[in-house]
Amino acid sequence: MELQINYVNQILIFVIFAASLNLLMGYMGQVSVAHGAFGAFGGYALAYLFLHQGFNTLEGLGVGLAVAALGGLVVGFPALRLTTEWLILLTLAAQIIVIALAQTSSSFGGTYGLQNVAGLSVFGHKLLQPSDMLPLFIACAVITLLLCWRMGESPYGRVLRGIREDELACRALGKNVYSYKLAVFSITAAMAGVAGVLLVVTNQIASPPLFSFDLSTTIVAMVIFGGMGNLIGSVIGATVLVLLTPFFENVLSFDAQKASLWRLVAYGIVLVAVMMLRPQGLLPEGAAPIRWTSNKLARLRGRRPAAVATPAVAAAASGDGPPLPAEAAHGAFRDPTPIAADEHSLAGVRLPTPASVAVAERHDPRPVGEPVLQVTGLSKRFGGIVAAEGLDIELRRGTITALVGPNGAGKTTVYNLLTGAIAPDRGTVILNGEDISGLRPDQVALRGMARSFQDVRVFPRLSSLQNVMLAVPDQPGEHLGPLFFRMAHSRQVERQVRDRALEWLHFVGLDEFAAYPAGALAFGQQKLVALARVLASEADVLLLDEPASGIDQQWVDVMLTLIERMRDQGRTVCIVEHNLHVVGRLADHVYFMELGRITAQGTFEELTGEKRLAEAYFGIA
Amino acid sequence: MTEFTVSNFLQLTVNGLVNGTEYGLLGLAFGLILGVTGRFHFAFTFTYAISAYIASVATIGWGFPYWVAMVVGALVGAVCGVIMELLVYRPLAARAGAYALLTIFVASLGLAIIGRNVISLYWISSASLQIGDFTNKGINISPITVSKLHIDMVAASWFLIIVMAVVLRYTMLGRMIRAVRVNPEMSLAVGVNPGAIYLVVFAIGSFLGGVGAVFEATDTAATPDMGFNPLFYALTVAFLAGLATSPLLMGGIGLGLGLVESWSNLVLSLQWTQLVVFGILFVYVALRPVRVMAMLQRVLPSLRTRAMAR
Repeated sequence: MELQINYVNQILIFVIFAASLNLLMGYMGQVSVAHGAFGAFGGYALAYLFLHQGFNTLEGLGVGLAVAALGGLVVGFPALRLTTEWLILLTLAAQIIVIALAQTSSSFGGTYGLQNVAGLSVFGHKLLQPSDMLPLFIACAVITLLLCWRMGESPYGRVLRGIREDELACRALGKNVYSYKLAVFSITAAMAGVAGVLLVVTNQIASPPLFSFDLSTTIVAMVIFGGMGNLIGSVIGATVLVLLTPFFENVLSFDAQKASLWRLVAYGIVLVAVMMLRPQGLLPEGAAPIRWTSNKLARLRGRRPAAVATPAVAAAASGDGPPLPAEAAHGAFRDPTPIAADEHSLAGVRLPTPASVAVAERHDPRPVGEPVLQVTGLSKRFGGIVAAEGLDIELRRGTITALVGPNGAGKTTVYNLLTGAIAPDRGTVILNGEDISGLRPDQVALRGMARSFQDVRVFPRLSSLQNVMLAVPDQPGEHLGPLFFRMAHSRQVERQVRDRALEWLHFVGLDEFAAYPAGALAFGQQKLVALARVLASEADVLLLDEPASGIDQQWVDVMLTLIERMRDQGRTVCIVEHNLHVVGRLADHVYFMELGRITAQGTFEELTGEKRLAEAYFGIA
Repeated sequence: MTEFTVSNFLQLTVNGLVNGTEYGLLGLAFGLILGVTGRFHFAFTFTYAISAYIASVATIGWGFPYWVAMVVGALVGAVCGVIMELLVYRPLAARAGAYALLTIFVASLGLAIIGRNVISLYWISSASLQIGDFTNKGINISPITVSKLHIDMVAASWFLIIVMAVVLRYTMLGRMIRAVRVNPEMSLAVGVNPGAIYLVVFAIGSFLGGVGAVFEATDTAATPDMGFNPLFYALTVAFLAGLATSPLLMGGIGLGLGLVESWSNLVLSLQWTQLVVFGILFVYVALRPVRVMAMLQRVLPSLRTRAMAR
């Protein structure tokens, strides 16, 4: 019996390891092969404090957790701006350094580790047999799972997924990506620390082999096998992979050495096979929340959207694990979707009909024409290249301003400078009377200036609805405090956020596609999702980068109508655009840029009237 | 810690140059694969180890002469690398699109684990294997001592590094490899088949690694997980030098790393010096995110398109 309970304990330990790594790797997209090393922080802390300071289990657990969290911060800081291959490298280095430190330092027992960690107890209850440990292990695993669940399947988790999909777009929506990363790095490291403590409790030793790179890869295998971004998958992954050992020993009657080698071979086969056969893992990322959304949507529209109900689409809509190719999602989306060919259809895609909705009907009471954004002397050089030189720009409430100019004139750079994506060398940017120059993109977004991107940058594996929900401001559930301590309030706000996001999707005519992964939509639809996202941010100032480029003429009309409506509501709009018809129709004021300088401004008619510009750029003789 | 005297310093310098040559060769091998194909080929650890095992079997079991056994071992490593590319990485890259990097890394990690444990299972009776038919002797050039093996290793490694530099710079094959490294799709347009070049690169990279492995196993012994530390040094050199660096510079960076590691003996006690290199890498990655970002913006788009190339 104790033998079986021992396996249960092992499973519980690995559930903690796998669930926490899944939060970091599956939800937030930050690959780590150092999870075992964070376990070492916890395990060694307990062993050391028990042997030298007479600490007991729970005190050791507390300290171990804190030390591991600190270790997570140390690795998290340099990881802030890294992409996948550098993260692999960094965490690999961290794993090796931690174990090498333990191995080298004599106070941690060197190669042999800290042995004889025996006689631990909890509340005077000795932990001698596996069954004595079971309650403690269950408690730790349940708490970890609940925490991961709360953080992953909530507005907070939505932000994490957004970070995984596109950090830059996330920052432009006002999310402080760095603080999210640091928080998740250190929280998941702390959880690994707890698992490390439990590992030492069962093994009665804290040694380098116990927390080696093998441990880290085992945890990675469990997460990958179970499914990235799915916590239940991680529980199953941990269970199956732990039970491989008794399977090899008892069912196939291998001796212990052979069994442990075969177990590792099996882990390797699992990794390769999953990647080749089912990259999303056993359970793909959360099917349940999406189904809920589509039901909700059906209620809102008073009918059931037929296409969304098929399981294949629900699976695709849920956004599979990262290895899922976009093409596959696209295929899964297309095959089972019968798209009715009505008079609006355009190459098989229904054209949206923009609707009036409550969210868009509010009018800004402040006077139209008042300057909202004032830019003076904005300059930026990249080496010898002048990207922007002494720019003076003014955006006025309830008007549309256009930035035009030849390719390479620096128009998109202006957006990057205004929103803090690039720090300007000189110049001030004043938004609603506040100097915002030098602020980070997320701070700028929170102060009421939102931007869209030339290359759209929707979050491809999030549903259209989630894309828009991410943009809705002031969500308590996106912050850890309210997420855990004001649950009812967070839930209530979440419902409002969902309704509002649906209304914005309705506004751009895409509510029918709310449950589809944004990456599976046609390009024109993606642009509309991106527009809905910008609008949902409720920013005063909208900076739109080529909103009408690369989409069909009929979509252009839809887009322009929407932009005009935003202007009529009293929002301040700026567009970068090459299409002169678009500029002529929309723009109240036009800035003409060449080589980083504004060389002319006025109304569209005034600029097209200028002989030099007409010949050089507008192509009108 | 080693006391600072002129002779100690010279000895440490020689040790550093010997180790550094090995790091440079491995950095070249791994950097070639990652730089040209964009595959984070973690299973380099396996092709490395299997080369040494085969060389051991060839010398002791089959009675091959040392240098022949080395070539045979390295060739087997090369074949393994090519098979992995053909059977695992290429199908994965074709499917995974933009996520190819992570997908391939995970699969490669799996291959590395399988390989290491299959070696353990196959040679289960002995924890390590020796390589035969090499008579080593110490050569004393006062005040320093260096072994014949190390001299051979440095000579052979630099020979290979220089050959690679010449091949990449002056031959048709080299031009094709460089073309694929810069842009696989464009090279397809001018009649270079990136898929074939990938195979060549895996063969060359695995072969170079295999040569290093046989030398290392001659010095100590072949063990199933002997590839792990070398991979880490290779990664460090490749990332420090940049993936598109010439073989000579790669060798130079390797030497630098070896020297720093060796000289650190003058201020640190012996068991801490292994941490120096890891520390350098960690600090480098940690403190230079801006430069790293700038570099990535150049490298990443090509990695992405590369992932889709076949």
